[in-house]
Amino acid sequence: MTATYTSAERVDDALAALAAGARPVAGGTDLVVGARHGKAPLPESLVAIHDVAELRGITGSDGGLRLAAMVSHAEIVGHPDVRARYPALADASAIVGSHATRHVGTIGGNLMNASPAMETGGPLICFGAEAVLRSVRGERRVAVADLLVGPGSTSAEPDELLVAVLLPVQPRGAGSCYLRLEYRRHMEIAVVGVTCAVTLAAGGGVEQARIAITALAPTIRRVPEAEQALAGGGADAVSVAAVAVAAAAQPISDVRATADYRRAMAQVIARRAITAALARARGEHVPIPASPALHGAT
Amino acid sequence: MATVEQAPAAAPFIRQDGKDKVTGLGRYTADLSLTGMLYAKFRYADHTHARILRIDTARARQLPGVFAVITHADVPDVRYGAFVQDRTLFAKDVVRFEGELVAAVAALTPEIAAAAVELIEIDYEPLPAVADVEAALAEGATLVHEGWADYSAADEVVRDGNDCSRSTIVKGDIESGLASADVVVKERYVADMSHAVPIEPHAVVAQWNGDKVTVWSSTQVPFMARAGVATTLEMSEADVRIVVPLLGGGFGGKCEFHFEAQVAALARAARRPVRLVFSRREEFVAPDHRREGQVIELETGVMNDGTLVARRGRLVLDNGAYGADAPFFPQLAAMMAVGPYRVPHVSVDASLAYTNTAPSGSVRAPSAPQSCWAVEQHMDSIAGRLGIDPVELRRRNIVKPGDEGSTRQVYDAIGAAETLEKAAELIGYGRELPDDEAIGVACGFWPSFSMPSGAFVKIHGDGSGTIVTGAQECGTGAVMALPLLAAEVLCMRPEQFTIVYQDTDAGPWDAGASGSQTTFNNGRAVIQAAHDIREQLLDLAAEELEASRDDLELGDGMVRVKGSPTKSVEISALAETAAGDKLLLGRGSGSPPPVPDVDASGCTGRLGMESWVGPTFITHAVRCKVDRETGVVRVLEVAAAHDSGRVLNRIGADGQVEGGVVMGIGMALSEGIQLSDDGRQLNPYLLDYKLATASDAPPITVHWVEVPDPGAGPNGAKGVAEPPCVPTPGAIANAIAKVTGARVHRLPMTPTRVWEAMQS
Amino acid sequence: MRYDATLNVNGDSYSVEIEPHRSLLSVLRGELGLAGSKEGCDDSECGACMVLVDGQPVNSCSYLALQTQGREIVTVEGLTGASGELHRLQHAFLAEGGVQCGFCTPGMLISAKALLDSNPHPSEDEVRLALSGNLCRCTGYQGIVRAVMSVAAGSP
Repeated sequence: MTATYTSAERVDDALAALAAGARPVAGGTDLVVGARHGKAPLPESLVAIHDVAELRGITGSDGGLRLAAMVSHAEIVGHPDVRARYPALADASAIVGSHATRHVGTIGGNLMNASPAMETGGPLICFGAEAVLRSVRGERRVAVADLLVGPGSTSAEPDELLVAVLLPVQPRGAGSCYLRLEYRRHMEIAVVGVTCAVTLAAGGGVEQARIAITALAPTIRRVPEAEQALAGGGADAVSVAAVAVAAAAQPISDVRATADYRRAMAQVIARRAITAALARARGEHVPIPASPALHGAT
Repeated sequence: MATVEQAPAAAPFIRQDGKDKVTGLGRYTADLSLTGMLYAKFRYADHTHARILRIDTARARQLPGVFAVITHADVPDVRYGAFVQDRTLFAKDVVRFEGELVAAVAALTPEIAAAAVELIEIDYEPLPAVADVEAALAEGATLVHEGWADYSAADEVVRDGNDCSRSTIVKGDIESGLASADVVVKERYVADMSHAVPIEPHAVVAQWNGDKVTVWSSTQVPFMARAGVATTLEMSEADVRIVVPLLGGGFGGKCEFHFEAQVAALARAARRPVRLVFSRREEFVAPDHRREGQVIELETGVMNDGTLVARRGRLVLDNGAYGADAPFFPQLAAMMAVGPYRVPHVSVDASLAYTNTAPSGSVRAPSAPQSCWAVEQHMDSIAGRLGIDPVELRRRNIVKPGDEGSTRQVYDAIGAAETLEKAAELIGYGRELPDDEAIGVACGFWPSFSMPSGAFVKIHGDGSGTIVTGAQECGTGAVMALPLLAAEVLCMRPEQFTIVYQDTDAGPWDAGASGSQTTFNNGRAVIQAAHDIREQLLDLAAEELEASRDDLELGDGMVRVKGSPTKSVEISALAETAAGDKLLLGRGSGSPPPVPDVDASGCTGRLGMESWVGPTFITHAVRCKVDRETGVVRVLEVAAAHDSGRVLNRIGADGQVEGGVVMGIGMALSEGIQLSDDGRQLNPYLLDYKLATASDAPPITVHWVEVPDPGAGPNGAKGVAEPPCVPTPGAIANAIAKVTGARVHRLPMTPTRVWEAMQS
Repeated sequence: MRYDATLNVNGDSYSVEIEPHRSLLSVLRGELGLAGSKEGCDDSECGACMVLVDGQPVNSCSYLALQTQGREIVTVEGLTGASGELHRLQHAFLAEGGVQCGFCTPGMLISAKALLDSNPHPSEDEVRLALSGNLCRCTGYQGIVRAVMSVAAGSP
């Protein structure tokens, strides 16, 4: 049970608190719910970072975007540059929890909670995003792919605060999509999720492909075999890539689905996500979030 | 037969409790706070089946802020149960499911109470757990209750070991019936357990005044709660008062007697008021009222023209660890297994198996949605075998007035066939659809429950009135609509009446918000009480107007002489006169409608379900879209046609259908308890026990086939609240099978199961 | 330890002394006596506890009370006007049969207000999606959706 609480107004205040052993709380959607649900008790010492102005806002950065850690899912979904250039991320943020969760929940919290079912991880990895981690000892950048090391675990040190996520510039001809299998139309958690980010060459062929799986392995991770199949493939490249995604999955059986079903759905969702990413790369309209549209629910 | 078309919707009926509910000022049990109040916390079993070797509460008692710790040793050694007395307030010697109470703590704060229950030391000898119903009934199965034969039980309950209650429905000669059929179709279905999931979790507050206790409880059945407290704490019912603040839904999950006695015992031990509020996890795991799982085997003989000739059924229902009110479910399920169809030869055998899981109990139309889901899929399978359209097959077999049911009950004024036609018409059955969509249809039926009930009506000196009723409002609006009935008799306006309800010290006995019975039985009581007042008003007016009583009539808030409109007296004037020495007090109960004649001579385990008063009939037609690759199903549209006799409160009745259908959608597609091998619920939280959300709920068209039933409730009304969830899962199942060509034999029909069905 | 905090709820300012683990919901219902917001689950799934914080919907059961200092909180009690007149949504919920047991109603009203404040003329599907974080077991959502649509239709 939490004994001490401070509310930081500057990043340095928060870093000092972390150095002294406190844990950060922003929207609390994972931390407080986890405690109420009996997953993990609240930390002994908390530092609230919701008032830190430096941790807010989406800004341009070297042709890419810088998402400060406290940027909410609602802000991501509503941001025209994210929607236009990083639609997979907008797809993901648009389907996190409920309206309330999306207003309160932040990109930083989502990432640092490191759930293998978390929505934004796949898109960030496929975009080659970097996490900016800062502590009283200094600042470093870590690729999001290297940040997520296991279920609920990151490579960040306990005294490091995620201050921002950097999205690198995307080349001309890029398109992306994050797609989640959805039982209900809303209020879902990923049982199977696939991200695809592609770049098309001038001739229309796939120049570069990145594909990541969500809730199909202990961490969200890319599937190089699928990427190679898509980038180098012929007419049936999409199908071959989707099969590769299913082959790479390490699905489990639990209350949400059987492993067999997850593996089969990995292929279906991969094919749909890749198809939608290609369509977006060609300039065709695919609504955000892509999920309900591609599942035929609208 | 003539049916009365529904008149256009009446002017909006604004419920009296509505303003409190929309302003947030209304108080539910968990909102109550009393001076000196302590917080209760239960200690649950650590095993699903184990012998208790030792309980030591010393460390818990020593924790500062703890005022009471109680176990079975601290309450009277009383076994209770509606049909089989198999239950104690706290586990005695053996725990039989994960939510079983072993001890309770009352402490100054919820945090201290939670810490204290963890300090209670319990040693167990684990016993083999029985989680599967069919394994429970197998030869040599571990007995959930070793001492079952020594329990007292209602005479009619047929019991044997783990079979807590067995019923059969027998009519004609099943063997010759099957032999005479052109085609025999045999199928097996399995339904998982599900939950009532009221949005308000259980809450109880108890306070003693001398030897009397007042218990505020989130119960649907305050008089049963009173009887339960009196029985288990060995008190007089007069010393127990149950008050229900606003009730946040029940759906059967808050039927019967629950936790009132444990909290009362804690309050007595602590000598302080005590409040218990459940978390959502506790609401899933502890209440002994979840919808039972079923294994349903059906074998039907049918002629090539679609005429049903024989139905054999074998059903096993999951009772869980204790009987609660479930022992009459096998007979209900056995009736359901035939459906609302003419079948000359019937043999259905239904058992209720004890397992080491949470006890089953009444949840909205207990046993019906599951068995209807199986029966109505079976009907479509038969139609498929015969090459007959499913609606046409039903049309050829559905019961009509004059037909007899499985126990030779002859149906009187019923509109079953009309519900079928209307639902098919409203959904546009037979129209062209995209190839991933289909329309599924299912018919169902459900009894009304004829029970005693009571109410008082008083008219005040200013002419306003108060209805004092024993009835319980669980949200449906049934109690809120009682002023409509009194006002109609007295030619007054409904808003002239206030309602005193949900207090066992005020109103007469009533069976509570259960069995769709409030309007059916308490409505009758209120009408009779209003007639009692009417007679008194006529006496007073005859004196006042110096007219013969027979020449008087009531109208527009006055009593007047027929044919001479100027000779009249306002009811308020009569009330003012009467306020002095004559009391305008009416009382009523009305006689419960008699149960229809039946011939159930060949049936065993007869617990009253062989004869149905005011049977209701329902057809739901649903249009679904199925993603053939993922097995994800969306319900796009529902047409619900109901015969509940005369509809007395349209907005309330529509609300019951709309809510019931959406509950049925949840049951069909996502609501199921998942169990570990030893009987623990693996998904006791709402993220993985999925209710339909607003975005999953489709537009619903409601139609009432109003066939007033002279043998039923007030003005020909029948039950309304339970029937709406009965056929929805079956209709959805049939739509899924039409799209996919595969039948899903397991409920809920989750995407995984739909997909698996398509693979095989 | 306990911390002093000032909470602004429905235009009133409250000074409280609370422990850091306390949820906004528990402080509203406990110290502040505003019991309209309800607790229906443990995992932000039911929405019965929904309040507005700086105009945005928040599951108050899963939000630390201390984090709301200096921010404007609106609960269901704050929908009713100063002289007791009902908000248009409150009227519509009653008239359209959007209220049965009433336990989800406070949170449902707050989510509906949050929606209409940001999107005064939503489509029916937008209403259904916006209310998906609020579970109702009684009404099948039909009366609730009708109520929100009727208020939207009457908005300028």
